[in-house]
Amino acid sequence: MAKLLAERLGFLLLTVWIVTTVTFLLFRLMPGDPTLAYLSPTFNEETRQTLLVSFGLDKPLWQQYLIYMANLLRGDLGTSFLQRAPVVQILGDALPNTIILTLVSLSCAYAFGIVAGAFLAFHRGGALEGAAIPAALATRSAPEFWLGMLLLAGLAFQLGWFPTGGAVDPGSSLATFRQRIGSADFWHHLVLPALTLTLYLQGLPLLLMRATMLEVMGDEFIVMARMKGLSRWSIVMRHAARNALLPVVTAFALGLGASVGGNVVVETVFAWPGVGRVLVQAVQGADYPVAQGAFILISVVLATMNTVADLAYAWLDPRVSVGARR
Amino acid sequence: MKRLLVAAAAAVVAGTIPAPSQAQPAGDPIRPIVLLTQPQAALPQEYQAAELIAAAWKQLGLQVQIRPLPSQQFSQIVWYERQRWDASTWQMVGRPERSDPDELTYNLFLSANIANGYNFVGYKNPEYDKLANAQRQELDLNKRKALIIQLQEMINKDQPYGFMVHPKNVVAFNRAVWDEKSVIDQAGIGARNTWTWLNITPLTAQKDIILNSVSVPTNLNPFNISGAQGSWAAEIVWDRLMRIGPDGLAKPWAASEVTRPDPLTVDVKLRAGMKWSDGQPVTIEDAVFSLVAPGISDKSPMYKPFVANIANVQATGADTLRITLKKPDAAFLVSSLSKLNLAPKHVWEPIFESLKGKPETAESIMEAKPVSSGPFRLTKAKLSEEIVLEANPDHWAKPKAARWIMRIQPNTEAALGALRSGEINFLSDYNGDPQLLRDLAKSDPNIKMAEALDMGFKFIAYNNRRQPFDVAAFRVALSASIDRELLAEDAWGGAAVPSNSWVSPALAFWHDQGIENRVPGGSVEAAKKILKDAGYVLVNGRLHYPAGVKETTPAFQ
Repeated sequence: MAKLLAERLGFLLLTVWIVTTVTFLLFRLMPGDPTLAYLSPTFNEETRQTLLVSFGLDKPLWQQYLIYMANLLRGDLGTSFLQRAPVVQILGDALPNTIILTLVSLSCAYAFGIVAGAFLAFHRGGALEGAAIPAALATRSAPEFWLGMLLLAGLAFQLGWFPTGGAVDPGSSLATFRQRIGSADFWHHLVLPALTLTLYLQGLPLLLMRATMLEVMGDEFIVMARMKGLSRWSIVMRHAARNALLPVVTAFALGLGASVGGNVVVETVFAWPGVGRVLVQAVQGADYPVAQGAFILISVVLATMNTVADLAYAWLDPRVSVGARR
Repeated sequence: MKRLLVAAAAAVVAGTIPAPSQAQPAGDPIRPIVLLTQPQAALPQEYQAAELIAAAWKQLGLQVQIRPLPSQQFSQIVWYERQRWDASTWQMVGRPERSDPDELTYNLFLSANIANGYNFVGYKNPEYDKLANAQRQELDLNKRKALIIQLQEMINKDQPYGFMVHPKNVVAFNRAVWDEKSVIDQAGIGARNTWTWLNITPLTAQKDIILNSVSVPTNLNPFNISGAQGSWAAEIVWDRLMRIGPDGLAKPWAASEVTRPDPLTVDVKLRAGMKWSDGQPVTIEDAVFSLVAPGISDKSPMYKPFVANIANVQATGADTLRITLKKPDAAFLVSSLSKLNLAPKHVWEPIFESLKGKPETAESIMEAKPVSSGPFRLTKAKLSEEIVLEANPDHWAKPKAARWIMRIQPNTEAALGALRSGEINFLSDYNGDPQLLRDLAKSDPNIKMAEALDMGFKFIAYNNRRQPFDVAAFRVALSASIDRELLAEDAWGGAAVPSNSWVSPALAFWHDQGIENRVPGGSVEAAKKILKDAGYVLVNGRLHYPAGVKETTPAFQ
């Protein structure tokens, strides 16, 4: 297990290094330079050069790379070209909002998906299954922005039950994340983006759980449980569901990683101040340091969650680590 | 064979094959023209306009290819690779300091700006240069106006641009919350302006102006020119010696009096009793510092050009100062005194000192609680969420609203919904279909829409350096073929008016009345005649240069 751990951590570091290097090159090799974002008739070449120097873009690419890697190791992601604030601070402000949105929607989606998947597997072939599976597939396939706009139109514009965007009311005095998370205002604003993501995400655990349950339900130990006269509830929840959960747990870990960067659309539709929105704004405004920082953060979280899923799988199912040693 | 001859004869009669008159000698065929623009998803109006214009040019016998490029690459090529491209969509946006036409008159077409200045199309006309310099030195308003009109006529004759439209600013507000009579329309800017923020009067207990922005504003400080949305806040947080009034003319603001004893001298008397938000008085030393600081180092690169013409600033009394200019500048009050923010010397002088020898500029400084003297004070700047300003109770022009809250809402439809639901009460940033907003205003009596002509304009930039755009007659023909009414109605959905000058009709004093209807020719047929008269020849439906002219310019790749 220790060897596997070292091996996976090694892969993780390699992945992060490749991602950071590709991210660096990606932004530098794009046509145009960021001073173009500030074009004004009062600018002349001298002004442009001053801006390039202040951004550190006047240096050769390799020097920029060394400075970038050295800063990265110190946890310094640079300063935003547009907001002129440290990138760490910008991402640090956004990350908790993304985490809370991700955790709430993933938890709701997986809780619902697991229960509904188990239920549908147990009642296979019924009318309910006939309606539920297409519905789950439809919400899974529907674009997030479309789902979000539908919910906005119905629950915010028409009924006025929820706000149209943001994390708190305009001019709110709730300054810190801790103050916000303890307020009803914050949770009220969270409902629509979280509901959109939940609807979008629930299809996978539901279908996965149902498929695995169907497989498990045919196993001999379930037949044995039936022969022992155990109740249906006990067979489903204590025996079948527990054994069917393994791939769903793995999917949850991967989903957690992917959602940190995958909430871009929902965060934009609902003006939710998370990492995804920061990334969109940075790319639109050619704000290299922020875009780089956001990409790196998302990649690190995703790679880390992949590693965690790998290790968890190996821990839960020893055959995986045995396979790795072969 | 017989059938072929009949078909050919019919084609000649129908005019699809050049008539015998086109047997006149012709030069090389004109290479396919590449019209640069931005992707439809980014700028749908410009893209549609490019399609309509390309269709018109094809009727002249040109081969035209529309090439959409991502924003950064588009700007890089048009701005920094000036020999490379043929024609491009472009725009000049309206800003309060452009209420005086000098900035654009001088920057856009002066030959001194061809290499790396704003004359990126490479227009060269010594007569224009002479008049543009003359208007800058003319302090008599009426004489200067005559020169500006003359310059507009000159550009109309030469058509270095194919002017398209002046867009309209479309905003809306809740008139159940705000007294609609207190919303002020600023010439060339519209209802979303400093005067509205100061004057807008609440009708209910809701006293906060809650507006929207689709983009995140940049850092706010008196030495940083924030993006458009950031500027809305910066303009009311920091005072300036002068402000552009609703009529588009500069009027004293933090100065109680501004006089110009001669073309090189400006005398300023500071308004009495002003205070910084930290309680200290606004002094004449602060005013001198604010005018000098951007010019003494490279620490304020964005503001440096605005003080480039200042030779000296000196306090001449407890509340007076004198500015000496390097050369006469008729627009100085608008372009500089109405642009430079008053910054507290006791705060910013140490900051400028601390930046010496460092690559950072003063623009990157973000104070937690900025010290300012303006009618509003910055109390919260969570740039990706909202900016909150509070009315300054000590200001001599105290706003009637309690707070000014700008919500960042990238989703235009959601912003529209927020206006309906009352979450925002001033839709200040709207880039959606204007008809949607008109429909909303019709269906909801509380919503008042305000459309106002912008001082900016949209145009096709012809690269005057390159064949065939180096010949005025060719450019005139291209411009003549542009149906501006169609562009305004179809591409801009009625939220624009035809343009044929860089001076918008919104700036009524300076605008050459009716110039939009005086584009030489003014139709595709007239354009064909202009080309024919200039010696261009249609051969098999393709436009050729006049006899003897070779195509020597490489096509845009």
